[in-house]
Amino acid sequence: MKHRLLSIAIYALTTGIGIVAFLYPFWLPIVEKTPMMGMAHANDAPLMLTLLVGLCFAVLLLEVQGESISAKFVALLGILVAINSVLRFVDVAIPGPGGFSPIFFLIGLTGYIYGGRFGFLMGSLTLLVSALVTGTVGPWLPYQMFTAGWMGMSAPLCRLPVQVLRGEGKLTEVVVLALFSALWGLLYGVIMNVWFWPFAMGPVERRWEPGIALIETLKRYAGFYLATSLVWDLMRASGNLLITLAFGLPTLRVLRRFKRRFAFDYQP
Amino acid sequence: MLNPITWVIWVGTALVTLSATRNPLYLALILLWISLVLLATRSTSLAPPVPISPLKFGLVVVVLSALFNGLMVHVGSTVLFQLPYTWPLIGGPITLESLAYGALNGLALTGILSAFIAFNQALPVRALVSLTPRAFYPVAVVISIAMTFVPTTLRQFTQIKEAQAVRGHRARGLRDWLPLMLPLLVGGLERALQLAEAMMARGFAGGESDASADKTRLATIAGLLALLGGWLLRLVWEQKMLGGALMLLGLALVGGALWIAGRRVPRSVYRPYGWSVFDGVVIYCAAVAAGVFALSLPGLDKTSIFYYPYPRLAWPDFNPLIGLATVGLLGPVVALLLAGKRTTSKIGNG
Repeated sequence: MKHRLLSIAIYALTTGIGIVAFLYPFWLPIVEKTPMMGMAHANDAPLMLTLLVGLCFAVLLLEVQGESISAKFVALLGILVAINSVLRFVDVAIPGPGGFSPIFFLIGLTGYIYGGRFGFLMGSLTLLVSALVTGTVGPWLPYQMFTAGWMGMSAPLCRLPVQVLRGEGKLTEVVVLALFSALWGLLYGVIMNVWFWPFAMGPVERRWEPGIALIETLKRYAGFYLATSLVWDLMRASGNLLITLAFGLPTLRVLRRFKRRFAFDYQP
Repeated sequence: MLNPITWVIWVGTALVTLSATRNPLYLALILLWISLVLLATRSTSLAPPVPISPLKFGLVVVVLSALFNGLMVHVGSTVLFQLPYTWPLIGGPITLESLAYGALNGLALTGILSAFIAFNQALPVRALVSLTPRAFYPVAVVISIAMTFVPTTLRQFTQIKEAQAVRGHRARGLRDWLPLMLPLLVGGLERALQLAEAMMARGFAGGESDASADKTRLATIAGLLALLGGWLLRLVWEQKMLGGALMLLGLALVGGALWIAGRRVPRSVYRPYGWSVFDGVVIYCAAVAAGVFALSLPGLDKTSIFYYPYPRLAWPDFNPLIGLATVGLLGPVVALLLAGKRTTSKIGNG
């Protein structure tokens, strides 16, 4: 019981701090102004943000990987990450339209079938391994890993609407998952933009400034997002939606079949 | 060969210097040194070339960044031309200053990408995986499996494509990809099953959870709370000293917890990466460069680092000492040259 409570506390705390850190421009009431206009807190805020997000990610990864991780879990995860990384490899070689990438499809579906813990690792490790394979390791990687991990971790939330609609194994299930993937197609862009938005230059109506009210901040961010990212992210969202609708049902059947096949025990 | 940690320090220094300045003279120098490192690592690298060359990427990014900033930011005194105010988003004066600032941001981004390409070229994947801390042993195993199976999966994908093509399959629409995707997934999962059986037969298992693990968890929770509290104190209530101290405490608690978790995992390395005098040279040079850009040093005038083209574009100041400090990024080239000479002389001496 104590073990479980501590685990829940770590999940809640790391996710909460991650959200607070990502969204600080929205709640921070007053931040000191530096002589460089529009570059308020440019000196220590990115460093603090990176430190907090990086540490939260490390702690969450430590908790999610667990101590009694089984060989089945490791082998299944390793192979699925390899398959997804190959899809990213194909995507880098032949880029899809806008922000479309086929990797989100398997992250969502595996998280839904094998659980949030598996989904988190699937999301974050896919981004890591594919970055190693394609040589695209960079400062953006921890944020991408965290965000893709969140997608996989939140995938089991789809189970409730599927249960309510009694749609398991039916088209309803695929539609729920397709909508979830499409939503994350947009959310991925929204989250990835937030961390650098306070430091981006732009017209006043789309720029973050210290001391502005929450409603004004949201309005400005919406303007910034509409102007710079919406079309790009809509491509990702539509791609996720279409790919899940097209491949969802057979892929879910395969993942379920292998879930049953992986339920074996070794008796020494 | 340099130790992987040395490369991490070098790439960190490149990031610090590129993030700290928008002075075009310093940026040009930093880019020059990174390009030389890129060339030096390219000649010794066994890794496949990256999908896009840094030069092409740089040209595209600098132009796009300048255009984007020029169209979106209507600040600056040197007006080049005017777009009608009725045009949404981009209407207003297009200034030389905003174009210049966009181009400078593009230069910094190109530098960051080039530094990471050099980093990826210099280190084999095995070295990158070896950087995973001990506490993340299961994750490192997963990464190793995934990295090992990526070429196999690519090969399998090609075989499936050829087999389906022989049957007359052509990938035209989205649904035509299903006969390629599904066999890839099923084949991969079959391999995962075999691998899991083999791993279990060889006794692979994670450790059991014990009381010390719960203590580690408690320390982690306390550390995260301290970090959050310290950060809020610094940002919201301007309590820099108290906030900083609390953040340090949080950092120590989380770091300690990770260290203790790592100690529970025994680690053996078949061929460890050693340290040489060259590592010392690179780290020393990188530390000087990072120190000059990130720390406030007595007697050093750092105002030229903070170049800003608004409101009117002006020629940037240049401090020769700071310019000299950027040479610290050339450490890997010096190390690779010296290491090459040493190898040649050894071969020459028989």
